[in-house]
Amino acid sequence: MNSREKGDKFIIPALIMLSCVTIYPVLYVFYLSLQRRLLIFDISRFVGFENYLFLFRDDRFWNALKNTAYFTVASVSLELFLGLSIAVLLNRPFRLRGLTRAVILVPWAIPTVVSARMWEWVYNTDFGILNFIIGSKINWLGSPFWAIHAAIFMDVWKTTPFVAILLMAGLQVIPHELYQAAKVDGAGSWTTFKRITLPLLKPVILVVLLFRTLDAFRVFDAVYVLTGGGPANTTETLSIYAYKVLFQTLQFGYGSTLSVVVFLCIGSISIFYIKLLSRGIK
Amino acid sequence: MFYKLVAKFLFLFLFFLVLSCSQKGDNSGGRSTITLVFKHGKIAGDPELFRQIIDRFEIENPGIKVKDEVLPASTDEQHQFYVLNLEGKSPEFDVLSMDVIWVPEFARARWIKDLSHLLTDVERSDFFPGPMQAVTYRGRVYAVPWYIDAGVLYYRKDLLRKYGFPPPKIWQELVTIAQSIIMREPDMYGFIWQGKQYEGLVCNVLEYFWSNGGDILEEEKLVLNSSENISALQFMRDLIVKYRVTPPLVITAIEEPTRHIFGNGKAVFMRNWPYALNIFEREGSAIKGKVGVSALPSFPGKESASTLGGWQLGINNNSRHPEEAERLIRFLTSPEVQKALALTVGYKPSRKSLYFDKDLIRVQPFLIQLHDIFMKVRSRPVTPYYMMITQVIQPEFSASLSGIKTPEEALNSAQRQIEHIFQVEK
Repeated sequence: MNSREKGDKFIIPALIMLSCVTIYPVLYVFYLSLQRRLLIFDISRFVGFENYLFLFRDDRFWNALKNTAYFTVASVSLELFLGLSIAVLLNRPFRLRGLTRAVILVPWAIPTVVSARMWEWVYNTDFGILNFIIGSKINWLGSPFWAIHAAIFMDVWKTTPFVAILLMAGLQVIPHELYQAAKVDGAGSWTTFKRITLPLLKPVILVVLLFRTLDAFRVFDAVYVLTGGGPANTTETLSIYAYKVLFQTLQFGYGSTLSVVVFLCIGSISIFYIKLLSRGIK
Repeated sequence: MFYKLVAKFLFLFLFFLVLSCSQKGDNSGGRSTITLVFKHGKIAGDPELFRQIIDRFEIENPGIKVKDEVLPASTDEQHQFYVLNLEGKSPEFDVLSMDVIWVPEFARARWIKDLSHLLTDVERSDFFPGPMQAVTYRGRVYAVPWYIDAGVLYYRKDLLRKYGFPPPKIWQELVTIAQSIIMREPDMYGFIWQGKQYEGLVCNVLEYFWSNGGDILEEEKLVLNSSENISALQFMRDLIVKYRVTPPLVITAIEEPTRHIFGNGKAVFMRNWPYALNIFEREGSAIKGKVGVSALPSFPGKESASTLGGWQLGINNNSRHPEEAERLIRFLTSPEVQKALALTVGYKPSRKSLYFDKDLIRVQPFLIQLHDIFMKVRSRPVTPYYMMITQVIQPEFSASLSGIKTPEEALNSAQRQIEHIFQVEK
């Protein structure tokens, strides 16, 4: 027995554990997704890919997919941009840096549901602080245009600190000598950022993007509490739609189909990023 | 080494399993006392008052203990809790309190017991007809109405008197009155209601459909995109954009925000459930003694209608103590307890006779008026499909209120989607 075989043996318990808690549920949901299963009518029969075909005719699914994609792209790119700026700023020595770093984490530390309730008040038409500050009477959560942007803004507020902290950690491992060398060569701060900081930060940026994209694509609690998917489903994401189909209307077959779609999307996003990441490291 | 570790873990696991089993055995074997578990939403007001009522049941029924367990605040979460546990055949709770729209669904799924034998015909006639209809599925009764709710119109008595208007009977009158009062009273809204995409929106919209002679189902036939419904929904949109008596904020409003606005004296009319009355009449309220309640207006030549809400008590089909559970339901829905609940937490009794009870009327004189409204209350479609229907119509109603779709487009689209749902049983 060589050491490789020995190693394989040692991961067997972990594999068994994993298959119980993740692989089995995933397979079971896939099996459900091939069924027409309606609890209250005692219906449960195999329908093959009928549920998947119905996806193409289901406007509400496409609407949810569109909202989810928009939410993900908009919030993740804003968070990355803001997070990177904050990280770079906070990476310079200045007084009270430690305190600032701690304070900036506060939004991230507040539980999502609590912050969603908080923002519900911030956006309130009559008593909300946002309208008070900018002196308007905009119905943020009631307008089809503003509601999704209000949700994105809340997510950016909440998760930018997380992005900033991760990037800051990445910045700190970049050796100082490189910056000194750049200075000696007469590079300006923008060139230094473009030629040294960004390339060396790339692996961390990709990890941040991976985490954030997955989280944003599955977004449920924040938006569900803030708007419930309304007005007129303009903020209904895939997870919210799947939740409603599964637990409010009890269509376990079609609900599982939706969950499988979310799973497949997330799977492909992860594979895409991981490919990029492994190429970057080589 | 590895196997030894596994064996040790297994041993520990079994040990705790045995331990926990034996503990359970000790509890249930104790002197033939049985424990009923009663699941319900949060009881308004002081929980101690409700506990006192339960204590009375325990004294009257030696040998039965009642554990009342409060569910999460949102009705969606309560529904989800019941669905998961009832489908999983959990015997962990015996009596459950249900929203009026869930009963046919739970009955169809055989999650709750048939309670037809619990109410004689004479007794059934003491309950309001609306809730009685809502707990009856295919001729059998599956729950007992506990307390009743219905949409009512709140108005500012003082302002209507000041400008010489009677309470409106027709929707158009309401618009005229609201317009002329808000022109002369600065910083006031005309008419507020609940327009967020949620169950309450359906309650609001149905009141306009019904008061225009429309409906969702007529004898199992879907009539959602009728001309009556289209013009009723258009009227709701017009309240916001054409007549401008309703502020756009209603598109995100649920009950409490509208109750706050009206309670601060900032609106002439409000549609809400009766619970707000007790709050408005409290000491220190800005509008104490200035609030009137009436049935909601209707369209010309049609009947006023209000949507039925409220909670019903049923028994888990997997309950281990169905007979004791029946006793608890009888107790909780008895006239005495309903009266006590009306006095302490302001719940409106589901029994008609209590609205002529002298003690109750002395403290809450508005009950006489509510009686007439409750007599005409209508229930949302009584069908096991209801939860699916409401998931389709909520976003469509919301779309037409916020102007993304015309009422006609919204209702046509909803009609198509529900027709698709109706094919599921085939």
